[in-house]
Amino acid sequence: MSDVTTFRAPTEEAPIVRRILIGVVVALLAVLVLAPLFVVFAEALSRGVGEAVKSLGSRDALAAIRLTLTVAAFAVPLNAIFGLAAAWAITKFDFRGKAFLITLIDLPFSVSPVVAGLCLVLLLGTNSTLGGLLVANGYPIIFALPGIVLATVFVTFPFIARELIPVMIEQGKAEEEAALTLGASGWRVFRTVTLPNIRWALLYGVLLCNARAMGEFGAVAVVSGKIRGETATMPITIEMMYNEYLSVAAFSLAAVLALLALLTLALKTLLEWRHADALAATGGH
Amino acid sequence: MHIEIDEIAKSFGETTALHPVSLPIPSGALVALLGPSGSGKTTLLRILGGLEFPSSGRVLFDGKDATGLTVQERRAGFVFQSYALFRHMTVFENIAYGLRARPRASRPPNAEITRRVTKLLELIQLPDIGKRFPTQLSGGQRQRVALARALAIEPRMLLLDEPFGALDARVRKELRTGLREIHDATGLTTVFVTHDQEEAMELADLVVVMSMGRIEQIGKPSDIRARPATDFVREFISA
Amino acid sequence: MIHRQKSAMPGFGLSMGITLTMLSVIVILPIAMLIARGIAWGPAEVWNIVSSQRVLNALFLSFKLSFFAALFNLVFGVALAWVLARYPFPGRRFIDACVDLPFALPTAVAGIALTALYAPNGVFGSLFPFRIAYTQIGIFIALVFVGLPFVVRTVQPVIAEIEKEVEEASATLGATRLYTLRRVILPMLTPAALTGFALSLARSVGEYGSVIFIAGNIPNLTEIAPLLIVIRLEEFNYDAAAAIGIAMLLISFAMLLVINLIQMWSRRHV
Repeated sequence: MSDVTTFRAPTEEAPIVRRILIGVVVALLAVLVLAPLFVVFAEALSRGVGEAVKSLGSRDALAAIRLTLTVAAFAVPLNAIFGLAAAWAITKFDFRGKAFLITLIDLPFSVSPVVAGLCLVLLLGTNSTLGGLLVANGYPIIFALPGIVLATVFVTFPFIARELIPVMIEQGKAEEEAALTLGASGWRVFRTVTLPNIRWALLYGVLLCNARAMGEFGAVAVVSGKIRGETATMPITIEMMYNEYLSVAAFSLAAVLALLALLTLALKTLLEWRHADALAATGGH
Repeated sequence: MHIEIDEIAKSFGETTALHPVSLPIPSGALVALLGPSGSGKTTLLRILGGLEFPSSGRVLFDGKDATGLTVQERRAGFVFQSYALFRHMTVFENIAYGLRARPRASRPPNAEITRRVTKLLELIQLPDIGKRFPTQLSGGQRQRVALARALAIEPRMLLLDEPFGALDARVRKELRTGLREIHDATGLTTVFVTHDQEEAMELADLVVVMSMGRIEQIGKPSDIRARPATDFVREFISA
Repeated sequence: MIHRQKSAMPGFGLSMGITLTMLSVIVILPIAMLIARGIAWGPAEVWNIVSSQRVLNALFLSFKLSFFAALFNLVFGVALAWVLARYPFPGRRFIDACVDLPFALPTAVAGIALTALYAPNGVFGSLFPFRIAYTQIGIFIALVFVGLPFVVRTVQPVIAEIEKEVEEASATLGATRLYTLRRVILPMLTPAALTGFALSLARSVGEYGSVIFIAGNIPNLTEIAPLLIVIRLEEFNYDAAAAIGIAMLLISFAMLLVINLIQMWSRRHV
């Protein structure tokens, strides 16, 4: 009689194949993804924690952190408003051209950030009609904060809408309709029925959008003019410091952004756990 | 082929799916494994097909120990409850699959494959659907294609898991007759799993009533009706 | 115009108004501006600017290396998705989270980190007898990094959805595991894998931040197209920048079309 341990389910690969595949994949991921992450912290701390912290206290670094926070403070709420509006319009109503609208919303994903920046410069730069007019009246857009915000909103445009739309499609509109028949106003339905249902997806979208907004480089590099202390965001400042061979300073600032990325991923993983529980709980009916 | 199930038991971790059960299946018989869900009937069928390995006990095919044979070596024509047709292949390619999967030495030439598939399509009375994809078929057609695909490998036995489970009542009756005819034409030892006592009684030569991982009774439909061996059987067949 | 059926749900005007306004102002208007410039010039004039050797080399380099990186990610991504979806092993959740790191890590951070690793005196760079950073190999590695999550994230859910019974059916019909993988599973994964490949390619072609540090940026050799746009803008040569931008936009649209075609094709039998 055969041994139970030698039996392999017909839907499984041989244990040796599994082990080799797991080994190869984990090794490649370690080299390709984990090593770069590790090196950011290693380089930042290469001359000790004190040096790294000191470089973060420099005038340029502080100005960059302040600017990046300001940009995110504008860009993320703008995209949250857009994401909620777009998801509501797309999931609660039937209209012609919906697929095309979704394609347009996704468009910034397929456009190079540099090209996005270029488009904004052509539209609003000093040598354009519109830009010239704005500058003459004292509202410079390009090489100033509004331009950076616009570029950031452009590249992160689909993030929140993309997280919300599938969740809202899944949930349908029965609950909202029920609330309406009970006499609730539109706003009330949105606040008390829709928002609680989508809060995790919204939070996840906001996190992703925020991480990308603070880290955006290509589009911002084009529209910011890279004026030190004025329009240099954290990624731009990292580039400047790196090019000036201020390695510890560049990597320390990079480590701050890397920590933000790690925090975002950790929260995402946590939310997915929660989400899975929530889905399992509601999956019964 | 004569099948002998000898003291087969199966547990998944803590839960026992089958207590040791023994069952002789005569060559050429059409046997129903009848029972409610959780009775172990599907587990027993999957052990016969080589999809599951028993915790203890043996399976004998024509008197020879087959317990250690892999799925591929068993050559059991298996029809799944969901049919498990390959969605990206035409009906023709689905049926030809088992022949094409053979090692080069025993693989029939293309012309022979075409001949056999055509014959099987005629056997299931759907001669014109070879070029269609499974998604373009009705439930009843899918079931018959799954049957033809299982028959294409010239199986030593036919194993069917709830073959009519996913069909509506009218199609069900029609396909029951179809299965009986195919069984009689091929003479294959056939085992099917069902929870529907009427279906088992009407179609099978031999009915095996199962409950909680045990065999309650083995017998001809008329015997089981006339003399239920346990309270469970009496209740289950009167339902 | 957008027509809709009557509905009891409120807020159509408001939500659609916000959506269309923001979409127009932030996305469509700027892109339309670039396209309008191209139309005003006409194809001949655009080609005239784009067809300089340096620009063509940059475009070709971006596309070639992105293609190879996406190809690498196609193979690696399918394997990774398979391992994550099918094999339970300690640390799987952690590995799964790592896959998203290239999405979350700012490109400039990735750029300087990769350069530090693969520079001739770096941890990895010093292991090789040939240079990696400041060559096309370096650009390739950076593009593999940024494109990595796409194939994994498109293929992984498809693997999770494969019915176990389909694989079992293949086995009962006599197929070996390898034959089942080749003839049943791979064809099922193909549309998703190709979508991931195209997404990865599209992202890589336009990538800037993670590449410019490791590229060395030698004209005609390791100079990518987005960098050339930045250089032209810094010279205030808006026309040249716009022409390259139009070429890249066309490539993006072509990729978008390809992705949509793949998805239409894959929906045929599902």
